[in-house]
Amino acid sequence: MTAYSLWVMEYAAVPNYPLSGLVYGMHNQGVRKLPYCYIVIKGQGQLAMVDVGYNHKAHGEVLANTYGVRGWRPPREVLGEIGIQPDDVSTIFITHAHFDHMGNIEDFPNATFFLQERELSKWVWTMSLHRRFRWLMGGIDPADMMRAVDLARQGRLVSVEGDRENVLPGIDLHAAFDTHTWGSMYVTVRNDLAANSQDSWVFCGDLAYMYENLRGHDPKDPEYIPIGLATGSQFNVIMTADEMVRSVGGDCYRVIPPHEERLKDLYPSRITKAGLRITQLALADGEKSQV
Amino acid sequence: MIDDATATYIVETQKCFEDLKQVASQLAGLLVLAAAGSKEALPDHPMLVVAGELYREADDALRQAQPTERARKHFGHLARAATAIGVALKEAELHLRPLGRGLDVDRVLIPLRAGYTELERAADALPGFEKVSYERACCGGRR
Repeated sequence: MTAYSLWVMEYAAVPNYPLSGLVYGMHNQGVRKLPYCYIVIKGQGQLAMVDVGYNHKAHGEVLANTYGVRGWRPPREVLGEIGIQPDDVSTIFITHAHFDHMGNIEDFPNATFFLQERELSKWVWTMSLHRRFRWLMGGIDPADMMRAVDLARQGRLVSVEGDRENVLPGIDLHAAFDTHTWGSMYVTVRNDLAANSQDSWVFCGDLAYMYENLRGHDPKDPEYIPIGLATGSQFNVIMTADEMVRSVGGDCYRVIPPHEERLKDLYPSRITKAGLRITQLALADGEKSQV
Repeated sequence: MIDDATATYIVETQKCFEDLKQVASQLAGLLVLAAAGSKEALPDHPMLVVAGELYREADDALRQAQPTERARKHFGHLARAATAIGVALKEAELHLRPLGRGLDVDRVLIPLRAGYTELERAADALPGFEKVSYERACCGGRR
């Protein structure tokens, strides 16, 4: 059986992003398209997502002008391509608190958000440090924090402490502390719902940007290479990469980095009228293909 | 074009802007912890002391700022931001410490939101004031 349909939904992209920012040590080796995506998980009477992207109203102009982010489309339009609406989404897993992953929570009025408690508390701790430590706070939008207050008051913010199994049937959360951020996490979908699954997927947030992070430059002689940006330690990033790859039976291509442009070479996909890609990883029993 | 006097104003008020943004972030962070029922949301959280000190520095800097005609709108937003964030801070000091998780967050959140909105308007009024430090997110490869 296949319990969930899984789609990677592109909502914006940077056409030319330096490789050195993605894979540690790849200096002066050119650029690559960096898609911005979130994940849709549909099945078992559930509609869930991993991350929600950013709010273009607040950040769009700066991002477009300064960093070359192009083609942002709102969730209503992006999700509409596969026949769902933001209001329908009931569960959202936030891999980490950077604005481009949790910056659009207000567009999902009926969802409950899961985030690691450590991600919140360590950011807050960081804010108490002297200004000279401000690098540690980068990527956090104070406005997101204020929106999170509302979520919490409405009982729609669940702060998770460490790993949690079966948050939804067959879906587990795994803490990856002191890696890309203080309290990053990745999401495992056991798509056969088996405890010892033979059909697992990992949605890794920014714990890997590209497959080079998970299998090195030579797939025949794989190695882990850290990402280009870690608040925590690169050792932890590498050990987490190993943990993720092991959890999908050693097939690194079942670990899904949302910024990996080459997912299209591995899985069926299509381009929407807005020029954004939808990649279909799995189709639940009885579900219609969207690509 | 920015004239020299306005450029000087920008340089002199950047830290004030950053400090106010930091105080807003600190208060918002504390509210999230309190509202989410975090075990870190203790009534004697050191953040409030830090936020208070930073706010006083920002307020002092603001009093010494000399806005040009070009910068007057920016200064107005910055001054209103400082006032509103000051109210939020005072409310947090009064109510967060003794009550901890029992805090009525609106007492802090409403002025905090107003203050942050003014900061955003200030950032839009003149160049050189960033709402978010994008460099440390994954889009941060400045072109």
